[in-house]
Amino acid sequence: MVVAGASSSSSSSILGIASGFFSRALHSSKTSSGPPTAVHGIHVFHCPDVVGIVAKLSECIALRGGNIHSVDVFVPENKQVFYSRCEFVFHPARWPRDEINNDFMKLSKLFNAERSVVRVPYLDPKYKIAVLASKQDHCLFDLLHRWQEGRLPVDISCVISNHVRSPNTHVIRFLERHGIPYHHLPTTPRNKREDEILELVADTDFLVLARYMQILSGRFLESYGKDIINIHHGLLPSFKGGNPSKQAFDAGVKLIGATSHFVTEELDSGAIIEQMVERVSHRDTLQSFVQKSENLEKQCLAQALKSYCELQVLHCDTNKTVVF
Amino acid sequence: MTLLRRTAYSSSASSSILQIAGTFFRAPHSSTAAVAGSTYGVHVFQCPDTVGIVAKLSECIASHGGNIHSVDVFVPEDRRVFYSRSEFVFDPARWPRVLMDNDFSNLSKFFNAKISIVRVPDLEPKHKIGVLASKQEHCLVDLLHEWQDGRLPVDIKCVISSNHERAPNTHVIRFLERHGIPYHCLPTSPGNKREDEILNLVKDTDFLVLARYMQILSGRFLDSYGKDIINIHHGLLPSFRGGNPSKQAYDAGVKLIGATSHFVTEGLDAGPIIEQMVERVSHRDNLRSFVQKSENLEKQCLGKAIKSYCELRVLPYELKKTVVF
Repeated sequence: MVVAGASSSSSSSILGIASGFFSRALHSSKTSSGPPTAVHGIHVFHCPDVVGIVAKLSECIALRGGNIHSVDVFVPENKQVFYSRCEFVFHPARWPRDEINNDFMKLSKLFNAERSVVRVPYLDPKYKIAVLASKQDHCLFDLLHRWQEGRLPVDISCVISNHVRSPNTHVIRFLERHGIPYHHLPTTPRNKREDEILELVADTDFLVLARYMQILSGRFLESYGKDIINIHHGLLPSFKGGNPSKQAFDAGVKLIGATSHFVTEELDSGAIIEQMVERVSHRDTLQSFVQKSENLEKQCLAQALKSYCELQVLHCDTNKTVVF
Repeated sequence: MTLLRRTAYSSSASSSILQIAGTFFRAPHSSTAAVAGSTYGVHVFQCPDTVGIVAKLSECIASHGGNIHSVDVFVPEDRRVFYSRSEFVFDPARWPRVLMDNDFSNLSKFFNAKISIVRVPDLEPKHKIGVLASKQEHCLVDLLHEWQDGRLPVDIKCVISSNHERAPNTHVIRFLERHGIPYHCLPTSPGNKREDEILNLVKDTDFLVLARYMQILSGRFLDSYGKDIINIHHGLLPSFRGGNPSKQAYDAGVKLIGATSHFVTEGLDAGPIIEQMVERVSHRDNLRSFVQKSENLEKQCLGKAIKSYCELRVLPYELKKTVVF
């Protein structure tokens, strides 16, 4: 500050340098006037592999004054496919948001990319999600609390449940306090309320099944068309289907786990995003199996959502993921 | 050491000090009486649960001058079964081995025990084992090295291999020759699993280890052999039973792979699990690294299971499970 003041009376060359250096410092400190000058961006890219992709992507960013902070590139051994994820900082004044889209779009066409997504968390709207849950609360709670603490960078459009919750329950009061609609849509074997759900979630970017116990039909998945992330309380592919804790308990395993994965038409079979385990022994009862499992489910789902929102999860082959 | 020197010093002091000193420094002598000797024993017990078992077991040990160092007791929530494992030190002069067997046998009858085993590693022969392997060597080699390092307290009676001929100048063959362990190559065919010959070769063993043995042992074999058989499965059971679980896991896109050691029963890869271990995998892993990580886990998992078994830590629990103390 003092030097800047002093430099106002110095030669123009020092001023030039000083104002550049200190103005950036001034602006980057928290003031009420506008955003910081340097902004984070993330770009993910998935295309057929050729020589020169990294060169072109990085050149594109550098030409606009963007500074790359992190790059993950992955080309599988036996397939000519290219995956990358780039984190960079840039100045929106030098590289306006819509121009970023255009520039990457050109590269996307040049390389015939299957996927090219750029995201600037500071400038872009948060991901809009809907959360589906049934009777079990723990994943839903944990998700809502993380969201409240700012650790889940999403916009929760609504919560949909086939289980009724009375007005004075923690979940309902929480949702009311935050103005998030709660829709109770009880299902029957014949009526899964899928059309109503589709309508409620039409505007969302992806769905989260937080221990939602209904199976979504192929028709629903096609109509919705976007990603759906599920948490399964078992270490897939072991113990698919219902009550995996009891299945595990009866099987005498020494490790139990949870799996978060994308939803496909087949039950508990979509591409896996994250898995976590914990040890169990003869001293565990069914109750402690369930408790350990619930703890794992919360962490595993949270980790999957965090990775997904940070564009770290890419589909790979038919049933796998790249998770940078 | 320090105690003995002090005793020598105090012998020249006054009688009152001597008396006090004597009381205090009687320690070396009383250490051989109060401290219960230094032979180490392990006792495991399984019986219907009732009040007073721990009291009687511990009294039995204490009344013979044994000093209990460790006790694990487990009674499940919902079943009236009692499991315990005690480690103790004792003086064989005070409690001879044969008497010990009798004493525990009495308790066993008293409580109608299903299992009552006492083991004194220093006084008894080591567990005699037969090791069965096929082409994949890593578990066999690791087992042999652990044994050579004294970390696997067993007596390897023989190594039996299906199908795979090992030439005389291979590491395994030279190792076995050096240590005088017979190697039997018994090639199998779909019609002939050579089970009778195997039974003959292993009839003197206490248990068998299948170290990536790729043949399925029939129910008849299991009945005839009658003793425990420990297998290592290169997958996290019950996922990926059967052949090539690494490839199954790779194709399934899992983020964790594992190994499972378990008792062999007639169902393939279905017996009670003893130990499981995992490691993380990611998109950066190829099939080869899946296999490498898996092999590493198999070695550790099998090694741990065998050690636990030899230390009498593994007890059958219900139909399909184990207690592992």
